[in-house]
Amino acid sequence: MSNKLTLGILGVVAAGIIALAVVLIVVVAGGGGDKKSATTGSDTPTASGTKTSGSGTTTKAASGELRLRGDDPLFLDPAVAQDAGSALYIVEIFSGLERLDKDLKIQPDVAESYDVSPDGKTYTFHLNKKATYQDGRPVSADDVKYSWERALNPDTGSVTAENFLGDIVGAKDVSRGRATTISGLKIIDDTTIAVTLDAPKPYFLYKLTYPTAFLVDKRQIESNPKRWTQKPNGTGPYKLKEWKLGERIVLEAYANSHRGPPKLNTVRYNLSGGSSLVAYEDGDIDVTGVGLDDLDRIQDPNDKLHAEYTTTPRQSIDYIGFNTNVPPFDDPKVRQAFAMAVDRKKIAEVVLKGAIPVANGILAPGVPGATADDKTKPYDPEAAKKLLAESKYAGKLPPITLAESGAGATVGPTEEAIIQFWKDNLGVEVKIQQAESATFFSDIDQGRYQMFHLGWIMDYPDPEDVLDVLFYSKSKQNNSRYSNPVVDQKLEAARIERDTEKRLALYRDVEKTLIDDAAWIPMFFDTTHALIKPYVKNFTFAPTIVERFHDVEVNR
Amino acid sequence: MDGLGGYVLRRLLFLPVTLLIVSFATFYITRWGPGDPVRVAAGAGFSDPEALERVRHKYGLDKPIIEQYGVWVRDVTLHGDFGPSYRYRDRTIGEVLGPKIWVSFRLGLYAFILTFLIGIPVGMFAAVKQGTWLDPFAIGSFLFFQSIPVLVTVPMMVLIFAAKLHWLPAGGFDGMFSKSMVIPTLTLTMPGVAGIARLARATMLGTLGEDFVRTARAKGLNEFTVIVHHVARNSLLPVMTTVVGLSLVGLIEGAFFTETLLGIPGVGKFIFDSVNGRDYNVILAVVLMLTAAFVIANLLVDIALVVIDPRIRGNRTGAA
Repeated sequence: MSNKLTLGILGVVAAGIIALAVVLIVVVAGGGGDKKSATTGSDTPTASGTKTSGSGTTTKAASGELRLRGDDPLFLDPAVAQDAGSALYIVEIFSGLERLDKDLKIQPDVAESYDVSPDGKTYTFHLNKKATYQDGRPVSADDVKYSWERALNPDTGSVTAENFLGDIVGAKDVSRGRATTISGLKIIDDTTIAVTLDAPKPYFLYKLTYPTAFLVDKRQIESNPKRWTQKPNGTGPYKLKEWKLGERIVLEAYANSHRGPPKLNTVRYNLSGGSSLVAYEDGDIDVTGVGLDDLDRIQDPNDKLHAEYTTTPRQSIDYIGFNTNVPPFDDPKVRQAFAMAVDRKKIAEVVLKGAIPVANGILAPGVPGATADDKTKPYDPEAAKKLLAESKYAGKLPPITLAESGAGATVGPTEEAIIQFWKDNLGVEVKIQQAESATFFSDIDQGRYQMFHLGWIMDYPDPEDVLDVLFYSKSKQNNSRYSNPVVDQKLEAARIERDTEKRLALYRDVEKTLIDDAAWIPMFFDTTHALIKPYVKNFTFAPTIVERFHDVEVNR
Repeated sequence: MDGLGGYVLRRLLFLPVTLLIVSFATFYITRWGPGDPVRVAAGAGFSDPEALERVRHKYGLDKPIIEQYGVWVRDVTLHGDFGPSYRYRDRTIGEVLGPKIWVSFRLGLYAFILTFLIGIPVGMFAAVKQGTWLDPFAIGSFLFFQSIPVLVTVPMMVLIFAAKLHWLPAGGFDGMFSKSMVIPTLTLTMPGVAGIARLARATMLGTLGEDFVRTARAKGLNEFTVIVHHVARNSLLPVMTTVVGLSLVGLIEGAFFTETLLGIPGVGKFIFDSVNGRDYNVILAVVLMLTAAFVIANLLVDIALVVIDPRIRGNRTGAA
């Protein structure tokens, strides 16, 4: 074979590799003049002025723009949305009669005040006369009525409407197609509306802070029924200025907001993924969450990012649920044994690196009624063994499977640790079954699992939202099939108890009974770990999803 | 070209039949599986079965599957309406899918070109060097890259180039002329080279022993002319046309792992999310789009082959 040929072919191979190299170099060098990201600027604010982002487009970095990472919301209809991803945007663009502040206290929003009738059943709301939609139209009592009736109307397709508005007299007639107007709503004048409930329910105001009860614009929806959500006209402090699927969302201050003009001009979300911590360190975004893997570094007081580190407890709980109808977990002793055989503190320390707190009960901190003392079953392998031996399944336990939602083949380290404790302390081999979420929830509904690992996020800070919803025997969401007449009776009483102390005492009793009975193993509460740039003021993470940009200032 | 025209027409007439069969199978299988879009969207939070049933009714999901399929076929054929996305409720499927395809296409384009630009010469080189250490070395070094899964290469590159050196962004997609292209291009190119190189090598070897090659050499042609003009043109060109043509479909298919790991909003990640969310109509639309693309790519390859190599024409048109 001639040398010429060899050289020729080698030349072509080399050309290919060079082509690859050239492309990469061009791309790297000419990456839109991306600023050199050698560790500058992560804790020193960069000089104000223009800065270029990766795409080479100029991003305005004037003070008053907050830059975040985000995901596309699915659907910005407050009546229908049920995912947290959409709710994050909805609470900025829309608002309701009442809102929760970052401490989860109820604050006036579109309604500036309300009166409650002596029997506690009728709420009369007085709308803020300055409240307008973002196109400038004043909000009237008709808008409230329209928004709620629309949310309940079956054609709207809302799963949440009955949950949040169903306490109003006649609301269920609308949601079930028997009526089109809510009989319990009475418009008194342009800015006054009276709402009658089926019972004096103290948590009703909380339900109004949820997006389902937010105000939408009748004119806009009727003129553009299918697409209005792409440019919604809400009553919140921020307008949706731009939404480019998969690329960005820009929120712009609504200067005439009845809550006063927002301090921030724009909020810009970058929707195209990647590691947000790296983007934060590069100075491309102003706030980022921190994952478990980076926590060690950030928590080190010597790390340059440590000063920007903040944590916020979240009102959610991670738990092991039992199907109390099927063997062996129909015997409380077996449940108690399983609960006492797991050292949750050890798991939190070793596996979760102390990132989230061990649950001390069912009610997360900040939920009214929650107490600071540990109400859960202690870790006690000996007692656990004894309980199992006393149970009716002693020596003849059926095979046990723990179900969890997950798409991967690998089991999470937390589950690994849990089943290891059961194996070591009880001598019971528990299998883990993973199912992707659609299958998992469908199976839970049908009571197909003996035991499952799941979480619950509070929709509003009232114990009713977890204890009544998940443990009342007739609740449709009682996925542990728990049934206890004493608990039922207390839950029923608490629903309409108007003395707050008495009411919370009832819930505390219920919580204690549920834990003693080991209806659940409460595992962990949740915490948000985040970094916030020092030039961002008043940015807070709330324990649930609430409006949070109104007071934020950015002085870059 | 009359015969060819008729052949193409006959093949195209089969497309709707193929799509109908594929759509029915997909429709049935997805709806048959556990869970549904309404329940999975409710998650752990709002699972009141009666409320869910009312929403199912609104979307006709409570009807028998065969009836739902009838409605779907009617809407598609009469109105060109592929049904609502159950997740993105105010968007048409095209609106949601279009940008994802565009992202995946741009993301895969460099890799697509580079794979062949490197793979073919490497294969030719290996074939020519058969029997020497250079043959296994050339192929083997690219097999090395093929054998490392994307699940390993992506996090490794992110760790080195983004987290440690800060040269590249850790993910995302900022367009074709940005640094965000480097990691995906490398991950999508390197594993594919070995396959193309081996195919090129095998094809070359099959032809190198042919009589006409010996004749060409006997005529005194230099080896370069023999390899490029006689061997490559006769064997490599048709084979590579086929492979390139069919790989084109891959450009709109997306790259699931790469996209997911780097948080790139392309088709691969979108399909995964759609299946998890039981977004039936979106799954169906994607499957049909890929089916159509594959059928058409096949057809284009056949046409291209006839144009390149007249010997094929008689066989194909005669057989069809």
